[in-house]
Amino acid sequence: MPRPKLFPKLLNLAVFIALEAAALGMLARYAPLQRVWVSRAAHGFMGSIWGGSQQVREYFGLKKRNKLLAQENTLLLQELERSRELLRQARLDTMAFPRQPGFRMIHAEVLQMSHNSQHNYLILNKGYEDGIQEKSGIITPLGVVGIVEAISAHTCYAFGFRNRDVSISARIGREGGTGILVWDGHSRSGALLKEIPLQYKYQPGDTVYTSGHSLLFPPDIPLGITGKARVVNGATNEISVQLLQDPTSVRYVTVVHNNSFDEIEEFQL
Amino acid sequence: MRKSQFWFVYLLLLTGQLLLSNYCCFTPYLMLSILPVMVLCIPIRVGTPLAMLIAMATGLTVDWLSDGLPGLNALALVPVAYARNGLIGLVFGRDLFARKEDFSSRKNGISNVALAIFLVQALYTAIYVWADAAGMRPFWFNAARFFVSLAAGFLVSLPASEALAPDSRR
Repeated sequence: MPRPKLFPKLLNLAVFIALEAAALGMLARYAPLQRVWVSRAAHGFMGSIWGGSQQVREYFGLKKRNKLLAQENTLLLQELERSRELLRQARLDTMAFPRQPGFRMIHAEVLQMSHNSQHNYLILNKGYEDGIQEKSGIITPLGVVGIVEAISAHTCYAFGFRNRDVSISARIGREGGTGILVWDGHSRSGALLKEIPLQYKYQPGDTVYTSGHSLLFPPDIPLGITGKARVVNGATNEISVQLLQDPTSVRYVTVVHNNSFDEIEEFQL
Repeated sequence: MRKSQFWFVYLLLLTGQLLLSNYCCFTPYLMLSILPVMVLCIPIRVGTPLAMLIAMATGLTVDWLSDGLPGLNALALVPVAYARNGLIGLVFGRDLFARKEDFSSRKNGISNVALAIFLVQALYTAIYVWADAAGMRPFWFNAARFFVSLAAGFLVSLPASEALAPDSRR
């Protein structure tokens, strides 16, 4: 059986490195020009080592950073919503309509998600002890992910957007026609915007936003991009929409709950 | 060649190198050295770590006893000792190691010996010129110094190799 040759090779390499280091050290000690040269090379080498190790550390810290960014994102969304509400109120104050709505936002993480049925669901890591309520919307900065249906102390169950029972009030552009956005039933990030009156003109490539007419979602969350359309029953347009957020790849979400939800529900009853 | 004879010739050549280093400084483009061929000719029985230590000691001796920078010859010579076995295997074949036999121009051909000398001389000269310049000298100066020194060193190393590795059957 041949003897393993790794040890002699390692020994040779170690002796070689030690002797070269000693020679370089001697050169740097006695020759000023070479001292500068060796020190510059050593700094460059150490810099690349530290830079490399820093990159590795940053890579393994990405999960934590993502979580922090998602939390920060939720706070920013909350702040944005508060500012919008103040703006809305400032406009309404001139018309003497007192109104106190607004959305509460809670950051959450997706624990589980189904992809392969017509009734896909999500389970989030926040429950009623974290402030989650039923009939809350689930969003990301790139769209709507689902609607909370049931809650326990520390988790909640939600219908995903890719669910036959979920529909969202949506609008083309900031002031275009409003319709109902539903999953197209088969593709990963395809949807249909239904019941758009024919008189509303639009161009393929227009952005679709939440309308704000629903109690579940704040207005102006971008949802997707319009595509081809077809006329249904000669009365409305049905437009295909490419969603901005792939609902199957989402991990961090924001749960939004309308503060006026119960009040408005009472009126509707 | 007997062991003691080899080391006697080695010391003589080392003295010769000291003379070359101290009295043959005609131009900054020329650096005459037979040290690489001396390290190349160290008997095969001597392992690489010991050969590296010998190379280091040889380089330091020349550095301290001549006008050169302390550590410069040692820095350039240790890689020659480190690469020696691989280079001998490449040029003369691995059989030499199996037979524990040293190379010579008669057994292995003058062209092979010349090739081996050229390679070690090039390695040594490249490191020497590069470290001596310390990034301060222009490229063309270094290139000219490298080629002139390589050619001159190669020519003086051929007879030195004959002295160190004579053919036993002669």
